[in-house]
Formats: sequence, structure tokens, C-alpha cells
Amino acid sequence: MSFLTALKQSLILGCRRLVSRKVYFALMVFVPVGFTFFFVDLLHEGLPLRAPVAVVDLDDSSLSRRVIRNLGASELVDITHRASSYAEGLELVKSGEVYGFFVVPRDFMQKAVGGRETSLSFYSDLAFFVPGTLTYKGFMSTAVTTSGGLVKTTLTGSGLLDDRAAGVMLQPMVVDTHLIHNPWTNYSYYLSNSFIPGMFALVIFLITCFSVTTEIKQGTSPRWLAAAGGNIYIATFGTLAPQTVIFTILGWAMQAVFYRICDFPLHCPAMHMLSAWFLMVVACQAFALFVSGVFCNMRLALSTLSLLGILAFSVTGFSFPVPQMYPSVGVFSYIYPVRWYFLIYIDQALNGIPIYYSRFYYIFLILFTLLPLASLWKLRRHCLQPVYLP
Amino acid sequence: MFAWFRSVYLVCRREFRLVFTDMGVILFFLFLPTVYPIIYTLIYNPEVVRETPVAVVDNSRTAASRQLARSIDALPSARVAGYASSLSEAREWCASHDCYAVIEIPRDYDRRIGRSEQAVVSFYCDASLLLRYRALLLDLTQLQIAVDGDLRQQAIDIIGAPAYAAMGSSSTVGTNPVFIGDPSQGFASFVIPGILMLILQQSLILGITMLAGGRAERRRANGGIDPLGVAAPAAAAITGRLLCYLLIYLPMVIYDVLWIPNMFALPDSGSFIDYMLFLLPLLVSSCMLGMTLEVFVTERETSMLVIVFTSVVFLFLTGLTWPMYSITGFWRVLASLVPATWGIQGFVRLLSDGASLAAVASPYTHMWLLAALYALSAWLLQRYTNKSYNFYKSYKTYKNL
Repeated sequence: MSFLTALKQSLILGCRRLVSRKVYFALMVFVPVGFTFFFVDLLHEGLPLRAPVAVVDLDDSSLSRRVIRNLGASELVDITHRASSYAEGLELVKSGEVYGFFVVPRDFMQKAVGGRETSLSFYSDLAFFVPGTLTYKGFMSTAVTTSGGLVKTTLTGSGLLDDRAAGVMLQPMVVDTHLIHNPWTNYSYYLSNSFIPGMFALVIFLITCFSVTTEIKQGTSPRWLAAAGGNIYIATFGTLAPQTVIFTILGWAMQAVFYRICDFPLHCPAMHMLSAWFLMVVACQAFALFVSGVFCNMRLALSTLSLLGILAFSVTGFSFPVPQMYPSVGVFSYIYPVRWYFLIYIDQALNGIPIYYSRFYYIFLILFTLLPLASLWKLRRHCLQPVYLP
Repeated sequence: MFAWFRSVYLVCRREFRLVFTDMGVILFFLFLPTVYPIIYTLIYNPEVVRETPVAVVDNSRTAASRQLARSIDALPSARVAGYASSLSEAREWCASHDCYAVIEIPRDYDRRIGRSEQAVVSFYCDASLLLRYRALLLDLTQLQIAVDGDLRQQAIDIIGAPAYAAMGSSSTVGTNPVFIGDPSQGFASFVIPGILMLILQQSLILGITMLAGGRAERRRANGGIDPLGVAAPAAAAITGRLLCYLLIYLPMVIYDVLWIPNMFALPDSGSFIDYMLFLLPLLVSSCMLGMTLEVFVTERETSMLVIVFTSVVFLFLTGLTWPMYSITGFWRVLASLVPATWGIQGFVRLLSDGASLAAVASPYTHMWLLAALYALSAWLLQRYTNKSYNFYKSYKTYKNL
């Protein structure tokens, strides 16, 4: 059989397989598209503003009410409860009604105006990290401006300094913060750009493994191999190439949604991200093919890929930086193609630095393609005599 | 009635045999709840972001600016990677990942402070990971407050007696921030209690649907009859299976809530009895959900295709990463149908905030409601597909003829 006939037969077989079962459509199209929609829609606000909080006003003076009005004006928090004591505030946190509470102590106004020591306490529930941090920020800025305003009033009131000089004295040095390319601290920028490709990678793992090992399970692998003229490389290419096309097109559509519709930062030529996506799809398929070849058993290979694929969301450092992990744990992040894609995204789309700095990421993605060479010979042997082990 | 209990017992016994002769299910039921919490905690166990390399562009080159750079170096979250001669050099360092943030001290930093004008220090941070930014920002805010306090004190000292009289002390109103739930601000302490809930739910569903896939395969191979099936009424069948899964998960749950927080010094401020009582409806509703989702699984291995990806969806739907109050509309409805949502909302507060079971009554009752809902759906499903039982009944009729 000529090479071209074998290739053609394998490709036709691969396409037929894709439409033969519902699970392919469900997992290859419905899940990634649905997840992209879910994620982009869920995070469309960018930042979960207006966290419910409680205030405990033990002073109930005109000053304490002003402080609380200032707090209520913050976009980060929403005062939903008024508690009468610290214990009551804590109970509200424990029952999940609020994510933090702000305490104005007894005799606050009297002490503050009289120049005696007093302090504003605020409690943020970090058991839920994002709302806890945001309530902390909202509380902190209110407390600091209150404290500063009082000092300023004292200073100008004493006649020593005018308004401007008192303002400077309050904050002689300020740190002007610039979060580069994401000044709104939009969570969607970095969560969508990591978790949605991560989901794609997981689905590619599962589908690649399933579509190859199902031939062994169903006992159709000798025919599958025969259609490719006995060449396992042509056979797997025929099965996987149609999937590569689908995943690549869907991924590009996802990128179009990100960078055109949602206006996520894209500071590089579009080609850099498009090519990175294609390379990642192929690298993920190669990785899954390698694992399938190592086990040659559908359940074992799928379990391994599921367990590894789910860990990818943690170990590749989407939220916790890899350099901070234990080196012996962090090193595993580099076995995932999606890690390299994520690094390319940071360098290219987000930071827009010259592609020279990302060259190795692309090279590593390409190197993944060589992985199946190490195990396909074994897969071929099992395909010739398919034995299904549950 | 006795016959009913006997069939519960028989179903349970058979289910035990099916579980422990199936390596795939053993992997999900025993390996996942024991090893995964350890792997996850190991990943996040460094807890906080420390010593992020920062480049300093010191255009001032004075004692005051060097003092500021030293203070930045002393922050727990930052480490001065070096002095860059200009912003463009610092950008190059960022590009080659030698630093993730840049501090630019202006040329007139010391002069402005000396003239009692405001000095503005610019802080540029890489936006790739917000955890890094959060750590640096919180520390720099504290640094700014401390430096401002020092400078103010110096200025007051220069004015002397009149200022002392006016001010009393330099700052009359202090700020006292307190973190509760996760006082160390650690990432593992935040995420692992929630992940434990997800692991329990997902491993149960994976194992149950894989068993169901095996059942479906056996039925297909034997003309609609499962040779390993036990003839039992639908309610007895799901009760028996539930009993088997609960018994298997009892040691897993004890290990997960007693040992895992202990091993890694995670928050653990509730009582063990509360944990166990709280987790009972989580397990029951997850089992019932698993027995309902069986309908989508026709092959042992497709259980993984159908279930695995939902873990990622649930990670965001359950209010762990993205807060519940920002999940609205359809997604909120979907989230409230997932047992782990309520599991996380309640268990995290039990474990981290030291809440009592009474304080988390709302998630607790919701989980029982879900258990009832899914028990109903599982029962209906079981009645619909209970072919072997119907066969058994017809067999009895046949014998009596």
C-alpha cells in the first residue's frame, strides 16, 4: 500500500470515528465552548466588588457615623449588617453572612479629638481569599484616611501648618502602584488565560487517549492498523489529525473571544499566540499518545491522564507561583504543555516582550512532539493482538 | 420487611465485592481521598509568596533612597535583585525574568522630603500572577505607613515644642488589621479545606459511575441481564449501595479531616464531631448524585470523560476561588445543585473560622435537601433500569406456573 493511500484511509477512518459517538461531540465541542462561555460570563465583572461586610459601632458619635459612611462609599465593600458587639460580628462571619467586619471602639470620637490613643480594628475572613483580601483593602483605606484626616485636622487646627503642608506631612512619601497591563486588577485576565486553555489541555488529553485506546478495547485495532498499511505512525496521525484541526480552530475561536470581544491584553502580533496554541494542541496530543503507549490499557491510561490533567491546574502555577513551590514539586510543572503555553501568554500577549525571550518555550512545545516515538512501538504490538483488561 | 432489609444487606455485600475486585474503582475510592490531599498540600505548602526579586531604579542616589531600598529588601515578600541604571534596563531584567517588579525612586526623592514636599515612588509590578502582586502590595503599604510615620516624627521633632503640644503623640488613631480564618494568609490553608470537599465528592462520583459503567457493559454482554447484579427492589438497591460507599468512606473522611489538617498545620479550629456530622449529608448527597449521573455513563472508562472536567467547573462554581456573592443568576442555581458548594461554604467555616454546626445550619440543611432530591432521582432511575430485578420477578412467576 502506498503511503498516500494509507494516509487517506487512516484520515477517513479518523473522521468517521469522530462522528460515530456522541461522547466526541460532547467533550470536544460542547465542553470547551461551554466552559469558555461559563468562565468569561462568570468573571465578566473582573473583580468581585461589594463584598458583604458588617460594622460594629460601639461609639455611635457623629465622627463614627462619618467613618462608617466613608466605608460604605468604598466600592470594595457593601455594609449589609450592623452588629452590636464584636461577638455578634464574629458570629456573622462564621455563619457566612459577611466576609469581614469593622469595629469603631467605645469613646472613639472623644479620644480621637482629645488626642488620646485609640484604634480602629477590622477583621477580614481570609478563609475565602479573594473577598477576604478585598474587604481588607476597603477597611484599610478607610481606616488610614480617617486616621490621617484626624492628624491633619489637629495640625491645621493648631495653626502650625497650612492645609497643604499638613497634607504632605501626613504622607511625605507615597508609593504609586502600577500593575503593568492590568491596572484594574482584572481577575479574568489571568484566570481566563490560564484556566480555559488548561481545560482544553485536559480535554485533549482525555480524547486523544480515548480515541486511540478504544481501538484496543473494541478489538478493532488490527483493522485500524491495516487501514494504515500496518504503520502505527500513519494510523495515529489519521486518528488524531482531524482532532488537531477541531481543537486548533476552537482554540483560535477562544483567543478571538479573549482578545477581540473581551479586550484582554494582546501586546504581540496575533501570530505569536495563534502558533503557540497550535503547538500546544499538538504537544498535548503527543503527551497523551505517549502515556497511552506506555500503558496500552484504556482505563490505566485514562486514569493517569485524568489524575495528571487535574493536577495541572495547581502545579503549573496558575495561581501560586512555581518558583515559590518546593523545587521537587515545582519541577513537575514543566511536564505539562499548558505550562509552556501559559509562559508564552505572559511574555507575549500580556507583557509584549520580544519573542527572543520566549524562544525556549516554543522549542519545548515542539520537543513534546517527539515523545510518542518512545512508546508507539509498544502500542503497535498491543494493537496487533488486542486484549481488553478492565 | 425483613426481606427488604435482607436485600439491602445482600446488595451491600455484593457492592463491596464489586468495589474491591475492581482496580479502577479502588483507585478512586482509596487512592484519591488519601493521596490527593497530600499532593495538593505539598504543592501549596510554602503557603506565602516570599522574596520576589525586585529591581530598584535609584535615580536619587542619596542616603535616604538607599535606606528605602534596604527597607524594601527587608520586606518579607521582596528581595532586591539589583540596582538597574534606568527603567529600560529594569524592563530588560523583567523580560529575562530576573525580576518581577520594579521600584523607581525619583531623582528629587531626598530633596522633596527635605523641602516638606511629597515624594512619589513608583512601583511597577508584573500582572501575570495576582498572588505575587498582592503580597508585594500589602507589604509596600505597610512600609509606606512606617516610612511616613518616621518622616512625620522627624518633621515634628524639627518644629519642636509647639508641635508636641499640638499633637500629643504622632498618630492618635491606630489601625489594627486582623485576619481571621487564615491568620497566616497562607494559600494552602485557604484552598485545601475546600479542595478536600471537592475530592470527596468527585472521587465518590467517579467511582460510582465507573461501577455503573461496568454494570452497563455486563448487561450489554449478557442480553440485558447483569450476572453480578443482586435482585432487589429499587429502594433497597440504592440503600445497600449507599451503605457500602459510606462504610468505605468512613475511614477516608476521618483521615481527611483529622490527619491532613494536622499533618500540614492547616486551620483546624472546629470540633471533630461537628466535622463528621457535617460531612455525612455531603457524602450521602454525593453518592446519590453519582447514582443519578450513572445515566450518562455506558462504559467503564467514559465515567472519566464525563466526570473529570466537572472538577474544574466546580472549583469556580462552589465559591472557593470566586466568591458566592458574585455568582448570580443561572450559575447560582447550578451551583446550589452541587453538594460540594454547600460542603465548602460550611466546612471551611467549621474548620477555619471555628464555627459551630449551628452556625452553618443553612448549608447543612441544603445538603440534606440535595440528598433527598438526588435520592429521588436515583430511585426513579433505578426503577427504570432495574432489569435484573424485573427478570428475577418474571423468573419467579415462571417457576410458580
